[in-house]
Amino acid sequence: MMKSAYLDYNATTPIRPEVMEAVLPFLKDGFANPNSPYRIGQEVRRSLELARERVARLLGAKNPSEIIFTSSGSEANSAALYGAAWHSLQQSGRNKIIVSAVEHESVRETLPILSSQGFKIYETGVDSNGLINCESLLEAIDERTALVSVMHANNETGVVQPIEKIAAFCQDRGVLFHSDAVQSAGKIALDVESLGVDLLSISGHKLGALKGAGALYIRTGVKLFPLIAGLQEKRRRGGTENVIGIVALGVASQLSLSELSSFQRYLSWQKQIEEGCLSVSGVRLNGGKAKRLPNTSNFSIEGVDGHSLAIAFDLAGACVSSGSACATGLSSPSHVLRAMGLSKDLVKGALRVSTGWRTTQEEVDYFIKVFPSVVNKMRSVSLVPA
Amino acid sequence: MNQRVIVAMSGGVDSSVAAALLVEQGFEVIGVTLQLLPGASTGFGCCGSPADIADAKAVASRLDISHYVITMDELFEDKVIRPFVESYLRGDTPNPCALCNRFVKFGHLLGLAQAWDAGFLATGHYARVKEGKLYRAQDENKDQTYFLYNLGPRELSRLVFPVGDLSKPEVRSYARRLGLETADKPESQEICFIPNRDYRGFVKSHPLSAGLDSALKSGPIKDVSGRELGRHQGTVDYTIGQRKGLVSGSPAPKYVVRLDPKNQTVIVGEKEQTLSSVCEISDMIWTSGIPVAEGQASVRIRHRHPPAPSNFSMTEEGRIRVRFDFPQRAVTPGQSAVFYQGEEVLGGGMIKEVIE
Repeated sequence: MMKSAYLDYNATTPIRPEVMEAVLPFLKDGFANPNSPYRIGQEVRRSLELARERVARLLGAKNPSEIIFTSSGSEANSAALYGAAWHSLQQSGRNKIIVSAVEHESVRETLPILSSQGFKIYETGVDSNGLINCESLLEAIDERTALVSVMHANNETGVVQPIEKIAAFCQDRGVLFHSDAVQSAGKIALDVESLGVDLLSISGHKLGALKGAGALYIRTGVKLFPLIAGLQEKRRRGGTENVIGIVALGVASQLSLSELSSFQRYLSWQKQIEEGCLSVSGVRLNGGKAKRLPNTSNFSIEGVDGHSLAIAFDLAGACVSSGSACATGLSSPSHVLRAMGLSKDLVKGALRVSTGWRTTQEEVDYFIKVFPSVVNKMRSVSLVPA
Repeated sequence: MNQRVIVAMSGGVDSSVAAALLVEQGFEVIGVTLQLLPGASTGFGCCGSPADIADAKAVASRLDISHYVITMDELFEDKVIRPFVESYLRGDTPNPCALCNRFVKFGHLLGLAQAWDAGFLATGHYARVKEGKLYRAQDENKDQTYFLYNLGPRELSRLVFPVGDLSKPEVRSYARRLGLETADKPESQEICFIPNRDYRGFVKSHPLSAGLDSALKSGPIKDVSGRELGRHQGTVDYTIGQRKGLVSGSPAPKYVVRLDPKNQTVIVGEKEQTLSSVCEISDMIWTSGIPVAEGQASVRIRHRHPPAPSNFSMTEEGRIRVRFDFPQRAVTPGQSAVFYQGEEVLGGGMIKEVIE
């Protein structure tokens, strides 16, 4: 059987060969603790700081010390939300947190916990294209507001939010602004200075690095309570550094930055995929009228259940997703598409296709070729009304 | 390329061995576990509980086959749980496994298997299919055809029951030999979606019965002549033939003869008053796909009931009227009546009404 066409880069990406090369020494002699004083510790420390510079460059951070390493994008999000919320409450008594309705689960899952601790949560909706309702968000910002968190690009639809507007508004009012940029980093140009964010999360394995390492940008001067106490990362994140993951993240950041100029090929594949899928009747593109990542397409396919459809694609040799890749592999209806006002059946019939650094034209062609027959077969046995 | 087979893996030993046998026979085996209750957090041993999903995944990993979890909770609620509750509220005693097999496993899942380019769907049921005909299992003790009768030729041509030729001890020893995690797992409980076998509690707490139903209201226990012998807390607490929880201190033991939820009445009688010789069957399905107007068959009226020799004929309304050669105890509306000829299953339906 041919190797499956892998078109689920928003779930994770293959590890880049350069990354593998770069981490090998750390699986052998580069084992020392980067916080140790002796020579081999210093060498590991230098590699770690080089990675920090590379990440800072990818994000346009002025100073590498604005980057702390975490175990994941999820940890970066938790560190930002809890850290900022707790610190603001203690320093200024601010207890309101504003988020969008389409945030990643790692942000959403902090909200009931923060709410139970006395924080007031305000959620802003999105329009049918997945774009946040800026006016209502800005109106919600008041003197009690500690933090606003709006993702840069959505993991399911790829819709890019106009966060610079929100960030500027927050800045004027002394409100912290965080953005989850796990999906946008490395796919579109990102500059924390021009975006005006205070906090920004990224993840290594979405860039062709390893699972188990992410980073949080913390603008100089912004204070957070640490999520994990300890002396590392200037007391901002405890725990001996995941050297291998961090080195990998550094290399992948550098490569991603250099590849940003070749986004044209992603656009071209996106166009091919969307034309191919939309040529089948009863298929619609979600978020199609908004600015989107060049690598992501989210469809609603009438008359099918997206989860069973994704299985059908797997068995037909193509890895795609029915939404976000959640922990158990079980399907739960997408809160993102629901927030966009899609009907229950269209939410059920969601399919996400995303490309990345190792995607080939053959993979795209193969997916487009099998798409109509797989969809039609699934429709013929479906319980979802067409 | 090897022929593809989908195996419905419940996380129990039977379906684990079914999958293992098919792997051994060289099929491309794809494991599927159905999640039938909403939310992944139902904590007890039911289809699709987290523990069962984990067991199925462990076995799939041991066998090195693909494994998927599919949620069918809405379908299950619609086609199995609601009819189950409605049946009790009507005063009947349902057979939910037969409905699940018909609409869920051999309905929707069989359809998915087809769309996934699988030639066959396999389960761990104890039954045998040969040349499109359905037969009782080799292990009569484990035979599950009472729950499988409502399969037509379209289904039967695409089903395999790999453990149908084995006994339960053979299945367990095969599982142990392969080191399957589920080898010594206890049998699943009677009704998979009901914790602690408390089906009455389940019926009472289901939204369908909310407040409005007379089957949940207290009323009289009467004998067949209409004399009140005691009180009950709802007809839903009783099933035909039941002896427990009735009148105390009566000279001869009493049995439930009939339930009349409309009038909130439980009718009891002597043992021989639970005997019936004629009943009518609705929703009849013939495994051959061809309706039979009249004939002879052995008819099983509850799980493990020894099939009773009978004559049957079709009524004007399209029901099947069964006359048992000898009167049978506790013929219960809502239960299935399954027709056999020797080992072969001819079909079956639901007991709609006891005539005499």
